[in-house]
Amino acid sequence: IRTMRIPFASHKHANIAKQVIEVDRELQPDVVKRTLAVEGNELIATFTTLTVRLARLTSNAFLENVDLVVRTIGEFGEDAERAREPCTS
Amino acid sequence: MPGRVRKRSPLKAPERPYIALGLEGSANKLGAGIIKHSPDGSTEVLSNVRHTYITPPGEGFLPRDTAQHHREWALTVIKDAFAKAGVSLHDIDCICYTKGPGMGAPLTSVALVARILSLLYNKPLVGVNHCVGHIEMGRQVTGAQNPVVLYVSGGNTQVIAYSQQCYRIFGETLDIAVGNCLDRFARVINLSNDPSPGYNIEQEAKKGKRLLSLPYTTKGMDISLSGILTSTEAYTLDKRFRPHGPSAEDSEDADIITPQDLCFSLQETVFAMLVEITERAMAHIGSKEVLMVGGVGCNERLQEMMGVMARERGGNVFATDERFCIDNGIMIAQAGLLSFRMGFETPLTKSTCTQRFRTDQVHVAWRA
Repeated sequence: IRTMRIPFASHKHANIAKQVIEVDRELQPDVVKRTLAVEGNELIATFTTLTVRLARLTSNAFLENVDLVVRTIGEFGEDAERAREPCTS
Repeated sequence: MPGRVRKRSPLKAPERPYIALGLEGSANKLGAGIIKHSPDGSTEVLSNVRHTYITPPGEGFLPRDTAQHHREWALTVIKDAFAKAGVSLHDIDCICYTKGPGMGAPLTSVALVARILSLLYNKPLVGVNHCVGHIEMGRQVTGAQNPVVLYVSGGNTQVIAYSQQCYRIFGETLDIAVGNCLDRFARVINLSNDPSPGYNIEQEAKKGKRLLSLPYTTKGMDISLSGILTSTEAYTLDKRFRPHGPSAEDSEDADIITPQDLCFSLQETVFAMLVEITERAMAHIGSKEVLMVGGVGCNERLQEMMGVMARERGGNVFATDERFCIDNGIMIAQAGLLSFRMGFETPLTKSTCTQRFRTDQVHVAWRA
């Protein structure tokens, strides 16, 4: 069993990450169990696997996805917030 | 004789301009395109940016590395697309992405980015079938009315015709795709993968001189290609094969086989088979137009052969250039925006990707 805590800039971003990653099923759902949760600003992922090798593979894939999420939010997050403010009609 | 009643298209002209972003990543090409539908009924390509993952000669591309390539380049390509289009993510109406078919990991990487942008900017998602994307872009660019579509690429080989809101598959490959066959042979003879193995085979084929006999395998409306691939590869083990062209000892008309001869023979045989199954479909539905889409559709020899067949039947061939033939993001945007305007949307929880997604599973609501 492995638990990883990934901090984000805000609760909203952590929630976005959770929603985006949980859409895809694990490739081998019968031997890998994954739970995602959000606490405050952190995304918490817990993996339960039968073997250490599976734990390594799943964690790797998960972290690669988290990296992509973080980079995308980093690139576009501010711009998304910025133009939202003028809409007050 | 009463004139044929033209059914009214269910897609009305939009009352305001619609803009869509399309993201494509089912194979080794990562594309982002932005398209605009205007109230006057016109469609404009605002930008079409693509980056291809090119492997060294002799190697194909594997899912894990391709997904990594897409993850690395996704943000750059998307930002580039918006910069070229001169619009921002706030202006678009929906985010379209390739739901399938294709390679699993690359598809999911792109879908992940689509989902994040959708949540950040609060835009709806539209999952698009890759093949339908090719068809819709081909129709848009060439203006073909109701052609038989030959969709030939590295991952798919299908002959498609439209009927009653469905793109029906008339004939297809029973095993591997045409592009796959050509690419794998390119690997065997160590051709460069830059810009694409198929392009390099086409250039080599122009220098071929001998037509070697290869199995011609059309099966009714379908074709089979793995046997031809094996035969062509077997020729490279033949003692007459000269990997670097004629050597010093060979006389002018010696009985030798060069890689160029093999490229030429492979292309001629395979393309003849494609022309045959396309002709069968044309005869079956009485159509006079052929639309060629997909990466292999760029091949000028195939276009030439298809043109000869079409002219003999009193019809013509429509083809697009490499901007639209090869996998790109704009075709996803086009097909996605068409379905979005008919009310189709993919909820976030259902925005997965699937490796097997048949062309005829899509409900083509935007055509009569």
